[in-house]
Amino acid sequence: MNVLKVSKFTIALFVLPCLLLYVLLVFVPIIVSMYSGLLEWNGIGESTFVGLANFKTMFFDDAVFWPSVRRTLMFAVFSMAEIPVVLFIAILLNRYVKKPNFLVSSYFLPIILSVVIIGQLWKTIYNPASMGGMLNQVLEAIGLGSWTQAWLTDPSIAMYSLYFVALWQYFGYHLLIQFTGIQNIPADVYEAAKIDGADGLKADWYITFPMNIPIFKISIVLAFIGSLQAFDLTMVMTGGGPAHATDLISTHMYNMSFLSMKYGYGSAIAAFLVLVCLVATFIINFIFGRVERKYT
Amino acid sequence: MSQSIGAGAIKPQARVRGKGRWGIGKIASYILFGVLLVTQLYPLLWLAIYSLKSNEEILAGRFFALPASPQWVNFTNAVESGNYFKYLYNSLFVTTITMVGVLLLASLVSFAISRFRWKYGPAVMLVFLIGMMIPMQATLLPLMLIFKNINILNTHASIILPYIAFQTPIAVFILSGFMRTIPHEIEESAVVDGAGVFRIFWNIILPVSVPPMMTVCILTFINIWNEYILASTFISSEALKTLPFGVNSFVSQYSVNYGAIGAFLVLGALPVIIIYFLLADKITKGMVAGAVKG
Repeated sequence: MNVLKVSKFTIALFVLPCLLLYVLLVFVPIIVSMYSGLLEWNGIGESTFVGLANFKTMFFDDAVFWPSVRRTLMFAVFSMAEIPVVLFIAILLNRYVKKPNFLVSSYFLPIILSVVIIGQLWKTIYNPASMGGMLNQVLEAIGLGSWTQAWLTDPSIAMYSLYFVALWQYFGYHLLIQFTGIQNIPADVYEAAKIDGADGLKADWYITFPMNIPIFKISIVLAFIGSLQAFDLTMVMTGGGPAHATDLISTHMYNMSFLSMKYGYGSAIAAFLVLVCLVATFIINFIFGRVERKYT
Repeated sequence: MSQSIGAGAIKPQARVRGKGRWGIGKIASYILFGVLLVTQLYPLLWLAIYSLKSNEEILAGRFFALPASPQWVNFTNAVESGNYFKYLYNSLFVTTITMVGVLLLASLVSFAISRFRWKYGPAVMLVFLIGMMIPMQATLLPLMLIFKNINILNTHASIILPYIAFQTPIAVFILSGFMRTIPHEIEESAVVDGAGVFRIFWNIILPVSVPPMMTVCILTFINIWNEYILASTFISSEALKTLPFGVNSFVSQYSVNYGAIGAFLVLGALPVIIIYFLLADKITKGMVAGAVKG
């Protein structure tokens, strides 16, 4: 039981500065945004209340919207699919490497760099060989010249080039999270299992996987929410182009609001994005709640 | 149970499974680790070499070759024409103010949530938790309109204020989680000795809370130092740009001077990389703790 009994004034003094700033700059804008989603407005002039018309346009008449939703979900699927692979590597790392710090912190390096550095670095890597792009130069050097691609300007592969960069950047992050999780499983559990004859793969299957579920869930949630909100990498590398081939929900929203000046419509997309994020978090927590009850 | 992880990150354990024996599995694993090391680090190394080459060398296609003579001129070009130090200073300024703001505001609230006897503590906590699910981009547009109306668009305040707001939920979560674990006897005896609330906060709770505050500092630093979208949306003056924004506009402008682009990217990455070399352990632990607790 907390012991400090203080006056209302003192409480206000401690709580209000932060709470007010936070509510004013996070909650109020979201509510304003929800409301603007019902307007037709270019941000400067008169606004007209149009009800759900923006949402109708979004769902039925916008040729970019559904493909961008599909790409965002694909992104989420790829990011989540990376996690089991990462877990496997973390298990190997834990099993075979005595001093893993060097490896782990090297793998981690890309995540601390700004998305601008990462994005521009990969843009130079993806450049055509004639512009100094490393990837195509490597392919030509090893005799796979026919595999060279216009990685970011060919609409059919540009999105995959972006997915790869995101997976590359976040690999070390998830690896470290999973690795730390595995390290925190008490060693005596494994010793007891060894006496019962469970070792190696068997021990991983019956001990590491179930005991690591909460940490696994954290990575999955981060990967999922992260890809729903994925934004800056695409903005830096392609801006949603070529021909909307790399537009995600968030970049579509940004382009609509800030380039096409359809503030009302952009806000409607933003509202959709917020809703998707909240529902997705809820669903993931629900699924893992059941899994955890079953195994722990 | 996920609370127990994090701070105690990588600790040596006496687990004998397979370490030491060189079986086929171990060899295969080491090859895998090596390949991953190359894929994760080589692009950065390549960039460093790239930044020292002349345009002719870059276009010649020998990606692996070292530059015949290092073109330091790329770096002087980048610094002279790209306002590098201006951007660096702006980033330092914005990040520092944000860090101080987050620490101060979040520790006040966390103290109130975790130590005061009042009934709305959990409700306030919930408000912050909900905020963690909200995508930052959804607030860009309304924030821009609000800032335009109160005339702070295109000032550092227009990015610092939302930076602080967006960093507080995770900070409050980490700090209040820690402060909850401080034994209550501490305050009881302090109250008996006649210390007021502010003295308890400042002289007792804050000094004990240094480790979680470090975590908050690291998370805030990495997030804000690297932030690009808010800065590029709210700032337009050359003199106010932060490093990521500045790097991006420089690189987009000088699209054919490859060496200078490479040099500017290296310069952009350098501050964080230097800090990472010095504090790698603290940063990795801090970020994992942030992820696990968030």
